[in-house]
Amino acid sequence: METIKNALDFSDSPRIDLTIAGLVALFLLVFPIFPHSAFAMATMIQFLMFSLYGMGWNTIGGYGGQVDLGKAQYVGIGAYTTAVMLIRWDVPFWISMPIGMCFAVIWSFIIGYPLFRLKGHYFAIATIATTLVLKDIFEVWDFVGAARGLEISPIKYIPPDFLRLIFKQDVYYYYVILGFFFLGILYVNWFRRSRLGFQLRSIKDNEDVAQSLGINVHWAKVKTYAIATAFVSLVGSFHACYIKNIEPEDTMSLDLSILIALMAMLGGAGSLWGPIIGAGILIPCKSYLKEWLGAQVGLVGIDLIIYAGIIMVISAFEPRGIWGIVEKVRRRKRS
Amino acid sequence: MALLEIHGLIKDFGGLRANDDISITMERGELVGLIGPNGAGKTTLFNCVSGLHPVTSGRVMFDGQDITDLKAHEVARLGLARTFQVYVASGDLNVEENVMVGCFMRTRSPSRARARANEILKDLNLHDLSEFRVSELTVAAQKRVTMATALGSDPKLLLLDEVAAGLNPSEIEEIMADIRHVHEDMGVTVMLIEHVMELVMKVSDRVIVLDSGKKIAEGDPETIVEDPRVIKAYLGERYVREHGGDIG
Ligand SMILES: Nc1ncnc2c1ncn2[C@@H]1O[C@H](COP(=O)(O)OP(=O)(O)O)[C@@H](O)[C@H]1O
Ligand SMILES: [Mg+2]
Repeated sequence: METIKNALDFSDSPRIDLTIAGLVALFLLVFPIFPHSAFAMATMIQFLMFSLYGMGWNTIGGYGGQVDLGKAQYVGIGAYTTAVMLIRWDVPFWISMPIGMCFAVIWSFIIGYPLFRLKGHYFAIATIATTLVLKDIFEVWDFVGAARGLEISPIKYIPPDFLRLIFKQDVYYYYVILGFFFLGILYVNWFRRSRLGFQLRSIKDNEDVAQSLGINVHWAKVKTYAIATAFVSLVGSFHACYIKNIEPEDTMSLDLSILIALMAMLGGAGSLWGPIIGAGILIPCKSYLKEWLGAQVGLVGIDLIIYAGIIMVISAFEPRGIWGIVEKVRRRKRS
Repeated sequence: MALLEIHGLIKDFGGLRANDDISITMERGELVGLIGPNGAGKTTLFNCVSGLHPVTSGRVMFDGQDITDLKAHEVARLGLARTFQVYVASGDLNVEENVMVGCFMRTRSPSRARARANEILKDLNLHDLSEFRVSELTVAAQKRVTMATALGSDPKLLLLDEVAAGLNPSEIEEIMADIRHVHEDMGVTVMLIEHVMELVMKVSDRVIVLDSGKKIAEGDPETIVEDPRVIKAYLGERYVREHGGDIG
């Protein structure tokens, strides 16, 4: 009961934030009603997906301060579980998605338990390495289509299929992911003021102090890593039904891992709205850049250069991202 | 049964013996001062007792239980809390939230943690500062917040590492009043590290002196200030030779 109340309690946000958040929520709810291009719709769905990736990353990476550059492996686990189960055994999304989450969480324990013995940069590098290994395995594993990947053929189903999440029109996908998006916000809103949320912020600050306050630092990190993983795997499952064509190269790539972390950091690591702001800025940029670059041969990879530039700017000027700047300005006004 | 028993504790850092065969017993309800010049091994002793550093040899018993090989968070959960000499408090959280982190050791519920944090803040007269970020406070207030945070876990024993260092006389008076309050009214057993001798002398029931990793003296404050070994440790050989042993 207290949990539900706390999830719905946004009273510590200033009124202006809540007004803006309410207007954005309203816009998101009515957006499909207005005329829009297929491209705009696809961009909006990507924005919602990446917001959720970022919210997941933010639990361990933002509140916990553990830079995680291996989130794509869990996108892959979610996507592949859903795709394989649907193609081979006709298992609906609503069953395969939680199963994918379980697999992802189990994998996150196997990886997180030893990796969280490492600190700082070693941890970040190790998360990259495990993703590469998993991707390599999937690229040669015939059961999951090896490097060719898997394709969900929509002809076999009668859309709109709400159980299997097979739709012809993107607007259905839009509302499904929008629902997850709102639930994700409520979850993080609860999480940040839960015991684990407080413990993580203490850990981020100083691990010796955290331990002396009775916090099992290692276990708190492993648990939070699993929470982050569950978020990401859920969106991975959705990705499989939405894109219908998955390969190790696009679901488990280093690019994806970096993009997830970068978005949350740009918007503001360790804040409720940060990942959403980050996704709101980067996803449209990325989509339009891609469209524009589609015609320009030889400029592929420029997005990576731009990401690198953003990382440098963030780390040099404001490690807490855009939200950090907002808070700084506010504090200055108050005093 | 004593609350804390340290038996023959030795701690080596490579070739350096930071704690050399230290034995200390503390009864429930005591306020013990631990003094010694810089580098004497006081902080190291706290680190060993609180489980942050593994000991080289020796045993530590707390509340009837052998805690020598327990991890720091396990020791804390048994009711042994501490503050840190250099650490202040989380800059990310406000004062109330900092204290809540301590309270979360005993409850899962955010509302109960908040309620307990507010009790402690009221108790220590820090209530007006609840909403401030710790980084916005004076050093003295920051130190008192770390003490409040440690108290959040409702400890049986509180180890305070130089909470008065760097404070001005009136701030020291204030924090000393806090310590007395914690000890007398809240019933917490306290061990207090200070390298300013006068201060410890005023509040402690008993004083222990470390020098170069060894326990060189132990007794009530009046005897300790007159102990030539203590004076020598603090003021150096020459001072003792010139003034004899009698400094008040
Ligand atoms: N983590 C450590 N590694 C190596 N040497 C240390 C460490 N911590 C303390 N020391 C050394 O142990 C000795 C005692 O230090 P410390 O316990 O901090 O003294 P005090 O708190 O009495 O001033 C010093 O010589 C110090 O340099
Ligand atoms: Mg010290």
